[in-house]
Amino acid sequence: MSEDGTDSGRRRFLLGSTSVVGVAGVVGAVVPFVGSWNPSAKARAAGAAVRVDISRIEEGAILGPIPAWRGRPIFVVRRTAEILEALPTIDGDLQDPASAQPEQPEYATNSYRSRQPEILVLVGLCPHLFCSPTPRLAIRAEPFEENWKGGFFCPCHGSKFDLAGRVYNGSPASRNMEVPPYYYETDNILVIGEDGVGA
Amino acid sequence: MSDTKKQGFIVSSLVGLRDWTNDRLPIVNAWEKHMSKYYAPKNFNFWYFFGVLSLVVLVIQLVSGIFLTMHYTNSAEAAFASVEYIMRDVEFGWLIRYIHSTGASAFFVVVYLHMFRGLMYGSYKKPRELIWVFGMAIYLVLMMEGFMGYVLPWGQMSYWGANVIVSLVGAIPVIGEDLLVWVRGDFLISGATLNRFFALHVVALPIILIALVVLHLLALHEVGSNNPDGIETKKNKDANGIPVDGIPFHPFYTVHDLVGVTVFFFVFCFIIFFMPEMGGYFLEPPNFQEANALVTPAHVPPVWYFTPFYSMLRAVTVPLFGIDAKFWGLIVMFGAIAILFVVPWLDRSPVKSIRYKGWYSRVALLIFTASFLILGYLGTLSVSPGRTVLAQITTVLYFLFFFMMPWYTKKEQTFPEPSRVTGRWITNKQFVLTLALLAALVLLPLKAVGAEVTVDLDHVEMDVRDQASMQRGLNTYMNYCHSCHSLQYARYERTANDLGIPTDLMMNNLVFGEAAIGDLMDNTMRPEHGNAWFGVTPPDLTLIARVRSPEWLYTYLRSFYEDGTRVWGVNNSIFPNVGMPNVLYELQGDVICSNNASAPEDCELTHVDGTGQLSPEEFDAVIYDLVNFLYYVGEPIRLKRQEIGVYVLGFLAILFVLVTLLNREYWRRIH
Repeated sequence: MSEDGTDSGRRRFLLGSTSVVGVAGVVGAVVPFVGSWNPSAKARAAGAAVRVDISRIEEGAILGPIPAWRGRPIFVVRRTAEILEALPTIDGDLQDPASAQPEQPEYATNSYRSRQPEILVLVGLCPHLFCSPTPRLAIRAEPFEENWKGGFFCPCHGSKFDLAGRVYNGSPASRNMEVPPYYYETDNILVIGEDGVGA
Repeated sequence: MSDTKKQGFIVSSLVGLRDWTNDRLPIVNAWEKHMSKYYAPKNFNFWYFFGVLSLVVLVIQLVSGIFLTMHYTNSAEAAFASVEYIMRDVEFGWLIRYIHSTGASAFFVVVYLHMFRGLMYGSYKKPRELIWVFGMAIYLVLMMEGFMGYVLPWGQMSYWGANVIVSLVGAIPVIGEDLLVWVRGDFLISGATLNRFFALHVVALPIILIALVVLHLLALHEVGSNNPDGIETKKNKDANGIPVDGIPFHPFYTVHDLVGVTVFFFVFCFIIFFMPEMGGYFLEPPNFQEANALVTPAHVPPVWYFTPFYSMLRAVTVPLFGIDAKFWGLIVMFGAIAILFVVPWLDRSPVKSIRYKGWYSRVALLIFTASFLILGYLGTLSVSPGRTVLAQITTVLYFLFFFMMPWYTKKEQTFPEPSRVTGRWITNKQFVLTLALLAALVLLPLKAVGAEVTVDLDHVEMDVRDQASMQRGLNTYMNYCHSCHSLQYARYERTANDLGIPTDLMMNNLVFGEAAIGDLMDNTMRPEHGNAWFGVTPPDLTLIARVRSPEWLYTYLRSFYEDGTRVWGVNNSIFPNVGMPNVLYELQGDVICSNNASAPEDCELTHVDGTGQLSPEEFDAVIYDLVNFLYYVGEPIRLKRQEIGVYVLGFLAILFVLVTLLNREYWRRIH
C-alpha cells in the first residue's frame, strides 16, 4: 500500500500487462494495412512468366527491350562465336568477372552468365539507379570508350557492361546486370520469369 | 549500478526533450488542460462512452479510408470493378473495406446515441449551446460524408440512391432544374458526379469534419462536461480550486473509456468478421450489382441511418400553396435536421437533466424517441397506404417535440436538483420497464401497418467447407453457364486453390481458350451478342449469390417449366418471363405447370416421370453444388474471415478482462 492508499504493485502489474496486450493488438491491427501494400493478385498475374520465341533473333542481334517481365525490360541477345571468345579476354577490366555476387540464378553462374552460351537473357536495368542501359553491341570505338568490345552503356550515369552484362571497372554501378530466372520450353521458346523444372 | 544509470540517462533525455519542446510549444499545458487537469464529473454513466467512441470511429474511418483510396479507381467505368478488386485481389483489402463500411454505420450508431444523451441530460443548455451547435454541424457533415461515400462503390443502390437524393435539388422552385444539372455535372448521375463526390468525400468533407470536431472539443473543455444530473460541478470547488465532484480525466476516464472502447471493438469486429452485410442493412444486396442507368432496383431504401428523414420526405403527399408536395417533403426533411440546431433556445426549463425535469418532458422524449425509431424502420420498407399514414403521424409527433418544447418545459412541475452529483437514478426494474414501454410504442404501430410480403423459397444450407461439392459446382458452371455468363471478378488460380484443385488440372480441364491461370474468369461472349440472342446481356455471376440469396438461386434454378408461349419454350415460377433458357433441361427433363395457372407465380410444378438424365433428387443435388459454388465465389474470403474473427474476438476478450481490472483498480477508492 502506498501513501495515497492505492496498491501500487497491483496497479503497476495491470498497467504493464494491459500495455503489452494493447501494443500486441495495435501491431495486429497494423498487419492488414501493411499487407495491403504488397503486390495484389492482379499485379502478380500481370507479372507472371512470359514466353518468348527466339528463333528470329539473328546472330549478334538483340530482342528487346520488349518483351517485358514484371513490367521490366528484358534483353535477349544471340551472341556470335567471336563475342563469346572475346568475353574472357576482358576479365581484367571488370569488377566481378566471375559473377561472385548473386545477380543471377545458379544455372547462369558461369563465364557466359547464361544457360546456353549463345543466348544471353538480362533484365535491362542498370543496377546503379535503374535506368535502362542502351545496347551497343558492335565491337568498335565508341565516344565513351575507344576500345569498346560491345555491350551496354547506361545513358544516365555512364555505367558500362559487357555482353554478359558484367560491369566494367570505373562505372558508378558496382554490380553486374541481373539475369532473370528463365528456362527453355523448347529449343526456340524461352520462358522468362520461372526457373523451370529441376532448377 | 550501470543499469540504473542508463535508465536515468534515457528518462532524463526524454524529460529534456519534453522541456525543450515545451519552451517552444505549450505541450505540458495542453496535456494538463485537456487530460490530467481536466476535471470531469465523477458520475458519468454508460451514455458517456459514445463521445469518445465517436472519436475512435473517426480515426478508424480516416485510416481505413486512406488505405481504400490507394486501391480504388474513381471512374464510372472502373469504380465497381475496383471495389471487387479490393475485396478479392488486394491482400487484406476485404478487411479494410469491411472496416470502412461497418465503420460508417458504427459512426451513426454512436453519434445517434451521443445525441440522445445530449437531449436526455440537457447537455445543450447554457453554457453549452455552442458545443451542441458544433455537434449538429458534425452530424450534418457526417450525413453528407455518408451519402457521398455510399455512391463511390458505384453499385445499383449507390446509383439510384444518389439519383433520388440529388433529384431533391430539382424540387427547389424556379432554379431547381438548372441547379440539378449543375450538381450532377451531367443530365443524369454519371462519372462526373462520381468524381466530384469522390473529391468531396475523401478530401473536402473530412477536413471540415476534423475542424468541427476540434471546435466541438475546445468548446467542451472551455465550459466543462455536463453530467447525468445536469448540475454544474464547476460551481462547487474545494480549497485548491478543484471541483469536489470532479475527477481528472486522465487517468480516471482514460482507463474507464478503455473498457467502453474494448467492448465497442468486440461488437465492431464481430460484425466485420461474422456479418459484414449486417443482414443487408450495412451493405445492401442490390449494391453488389454494378450501376445501371436503365434499370431501377425493385426497392430503393436508403442506408438505415438516413431512413427516418427519408420517411418524412415520403410522408409529405399533399401540395400546398400551389407548390408541389416534393418541395414540401424536402422542406420537412431538412427542417427535421435544422430544428435540432435551435434546441438550446427551445428548452426553457430551469433544470437540465431529464432526472429533474417534469413528466411532460419525460413523456415527450419517450414519444419523440419512439417516433424517430418508427420513422427509421418505415424508411427501410416500401410504401403502403397504412405505412404512409403512420409516417405522417410520427412526422408530426417528431416536430411537435420541438415546437411544443418552449411550452411544456416552462409549464411543467420540475423536481429539485441535488447540490452534489449522484449515482444511479433509476433502478434496473424501472430501466427495463422503460425499455419495454419504448419497444411497445415502436412495435405496436408497426404491427398495425403490416409486414413486408415475402416469396416462399426452398430452404437450403450452404457449406463452403465442402470442397467436393464446390468442385462439382464449378464443373457444372464451366460446362453449362460459362459460355454465356462470366465470373469476371474472380481469378482461376485463386478459385483452384480455394477449391483444392491442382492448377494444371484446372488449366487442362476447366479453362477454355487462351486464358492464363492468373486471369479473371471472363467469358468470350460479347455483350452485344448476348443482347441479340437473349434480349438482355446475361449478367455476370461473380456476385449473384450476394445480390440474390442462395435460397433464391436454388429455388429459381429448379423452377423452370414448359411454356410454349415463350421464346425458349420455358418460363420460371420464381422469375416470371425470364430471358434465360433452361440450360440444364437435359439433366432435369420435363417440368409442367400442372394446375395451368395463368400467372407463372401461381404454378404448381410437376416433374414428368421418366424424363431427364437425372432423377429429381440427383438434379437437386447438382443445383445445390452449383449454388454452393456460386455462394463461395460471391465472397471467396468468407471462411478465412471467420477463422481470423475467432482469434480477434478471443484477443479482445482477454483485453477486456485486463482493462476492466485496471479500471476497477483506479476507481476502487473513488466515491
